[in-house]
Amino acid sequence: MTATSLHTTGPDGRPGLRNWRELMKPQRLAAMQPSRLSGTRSMMNRMIREQWDISVERFDVDETASGTIVYSIRTPRQEFSFIAFSFAPRTEGRTGRIIGRVWDMMGTLNEGPATEETIERARSELPKLYRGRASENALVWCRSNRSMRVFDTVLSALADGRQPSVDDLNTVCYLMRNTGLDGNGTFGTRSFPSINVEEHDLGGMLQAQLLLAYLMRELSCDLVEHLARLRSDKAVKLDPKLRSYMGVGNGSALGLIFFVQKHPRLLDSWLTARETAVAKALGLELGRGDDRLCQLIALIQRAARFRSEDRMMYETFTASEQVAREITTLIAPLEELRGAGTIDGESHRFPLDALARRAEATLAPESYETFLSLCMELVPEEADALAAKVSGADELSVNPAMTVTALKDLIEDDYAWALQMDMTAEDAQDYVWYKSETAEEPRRGLRAEVPEARDLGIDIPGNMQQLHKDLGSVAPDMPVARFLLAFPQHRLMVARAQSLEGRHFHTPHANINAGSFVPIDMVRLMNVALHGIDKTRDYLQRNLRGVLYHGAPTREEIRSGEGSDWFYPEEPRA
Amino acid sequence: MNDLNDLRVMPREMRLMSERIFSLTSLPKGFALMITDVVMYSEAQNLGGFAHLEATLPELMDAEPMALKLMSDTGDSLALDAGGQHAWIALPSILDLLSLALSEHDSARIELTGVAHPKELAIAEGLGLRQGLRIRLAGTVLSASACAPEDPVLNRALVDGCRIPAELWWRIWALAQTALTPDSVVSRRHAGVNIVTEDGQIIGRTDNDDDTDPNFINSVDPRKTKEATQ
Repeated sequence: MTATSLHTTGPDGRPGLRNWRELMKPQRLAAMQPSRLSGTRSMMNRMIREQWDISVERFDVDETASGTIVYSIRTPRQEFSFIAFSFAPRTEGRTGRIIGRVWDMMGTLNEGPATEETIERARSELPKLYRGRASENALVWCRSNRSMRVFDTVLSALADGRQPSVDDLNTVCYLMRNTGLDGNGTFGTRSFPSINVEEHDLGGMLQAQLLLAYLMRELSCDLVEHLARLRSDKAVKLDPKLRSYMGVGNGSALGLIFFVQKHPRLLDSWLTARETAVAKALGLELGRGDDRLCQLIALIQRAARFRSEDRMMYETFTASEQVAREITTLIAPLEELRGAGTIDGESHRFPLDALARRAEATLAPESYETFLSLCMELVPEEADALAAKVSGADELSVNPAMTVTALKDLIEDDYAWALQMDMTAEDAQDYVWYKSETAEEPRRGLRAEVPEARDLGIDIPGNMQQLHKDLGSVAPDMPVARFLLAFPQHRLMVARAQSLEGRHFHTPHANINAGSFVPIDMVRLMNVALHGIDKTRDYLQRNLRGVLYHGAPTREEIRSGEGSDWFYPEEPRA
Repeated sequence: MNDLNDLRVMPREMRLMSERIFSLTSLPKGFALMITDVVMYSEAQNLGGFAHLEATLPELMDAEPMALKLMSDTGDSLALDAGGQHAWIALPSILDLLSLALSEHDSARIELTGVAHPKELAIAEGLGLRQGLRIRLAGTVLSASACAPEDPVLNRALVDGCRIPAELWWRIWALAQTALTPDSVVSRRHAGVNIVTEDGQIIGRTDNDDDTDPNFINSVDPRKTKEATQ
């Protein structure tokens, strides 16, 4: 393989996977954009393709917004139910943080239709939260809060018999914000690894949580319409275009760094799938008159329009106006390719690869990554097949027969980035990662400010350096079993290195304890690239607020199999 | 038969509680994080489980995995002095050493001395299968042969969870909570979209639309924060 700094070429001359030694740098990961392999897009594509049938079964909510709501979700093979409880909003104790004590909605996504028994069980257990116990058919519990200002504005407009203005909506683009999606065994919900993906429609990575997030969007719109009707006889329903434009809000923060550290196989599986799809797209042999070039040009135009209409304020990220301007510059060479089969007069066997390399060298990272994400739309079957296979068990194991020399070689190759880090630098150990007693909120602070905090982060570079040093202190042919008897403190790093041998997209190359580490980089990787959240605003380099399912079709459209071109929505116009 | 007061507790929760409780002990983090499954397997195999964790925590607090010493090794027969350590502390090396011996022999055995709570060594029968070890325990001797890796104990727990008496579970939960950091106004500044200073000033942008009650962020009442998690 020959390699440039990031793009590679395989032995067959085709574009290879991007160079992991460069790609796994936090700033690279942070720039990745939503794509066909992102959770929300992948999930919505499937729901549309399979025409999932979502319907309201019960909507008993009074004018204070208190009451019970039940949805039925019929998939090709199963039925699920979303049982939700709406509460009158209160201001005391309200915050988007997990330590909040006030929620406007709590709910559960269950297998099977809702019954009086499951509704009453949920009603009794959900408010207990950490002390509550989910029923055996529960997949995910959720909580959400309204955007008070936008919700009230929309409610007033609808009750007055008019539609809210786009300007009223565009500052946040949602009515309700997700404040918690807990599943995979939490509170006694079903363990996802026990679900057979061949037999279950919500068995894939994050699928149950992502369906529930979409249902939150539907609930928020149904609720505001319902309350408007109770308030006024002249109330109107939300224009379907506005309803689609509304997503569901999402706030994410430091907990995702713990997720990245604890699920290396899953991250590797997903990033490998994503990078494979990128390589397949860049390996397309496109020439003059190819219709796929028209498709790509249209996608770039759509993305540029979406970015140019973006009203969000970003603290450290590239401004949307710049992204819009930069990706637009890619249209001219694509037009030339479509018309003449060349780029700047030169022929290329893999023209998208050539253009991607140029974009990497000349555009902002977000603009370049936007181009790659759009290219993936040209290989939909391959990308969807790759997404469907993403998985990764959490269990790590030791290979006790490996010699310390072999392990040392492995670490020197796979963790060269960690061995090269200066862990004695002034700020290398300044920060501690911990969870508060209150609601287990993940936090990161200067060690000096919280000396009592128990460090929950994993110091991968520091631990790998110690392991490497100790491996060099024993006989080269010593088996790992004997080494761990003498150095039991290294068991986790040994298991990690051995279990992930041959994989390269599992660990961001970062010292999370350093003052120079920027937490938001990892949060962006998860929220933007993996979850597929749009318009993510950054706060204090540690929190993100964004929009899930921005532009997603209504449930009526899904039922009809319509709306597959939903992402990067255009502002609805009167 | 299941008691009505039993809770169905899933592996994620069992692992989380074990991890937090082990973090209270003297065990190095790189070791502690690799033995969180032993309590779950003990529970799932009807051994001591979480009740045993609660009962033996005082001795686990001073656990020292470096106390283990390999006394003899004749290839397929080994002797390990556990140095008075809890069986749970010895289990990882027992499995390593048996697996290593089986890489060159058809069968292997290891005899333990100086091990506390030897009945818990039976966890090896379940946990060993994950590594492709079919293990039988007799007293303090574990005999092993190779098999195809499988994990029936974990697979069953993932589907059914473990039935644990509610009172015991909530005591375990409360114990695990002590591994978390008490709340304070300073600590609350270590997360969130903005920082509320002591005089109520907000640092950072406020266009986050979460309708935060600043008084709530700045008034850490131990009684109230405890309520919030109960």
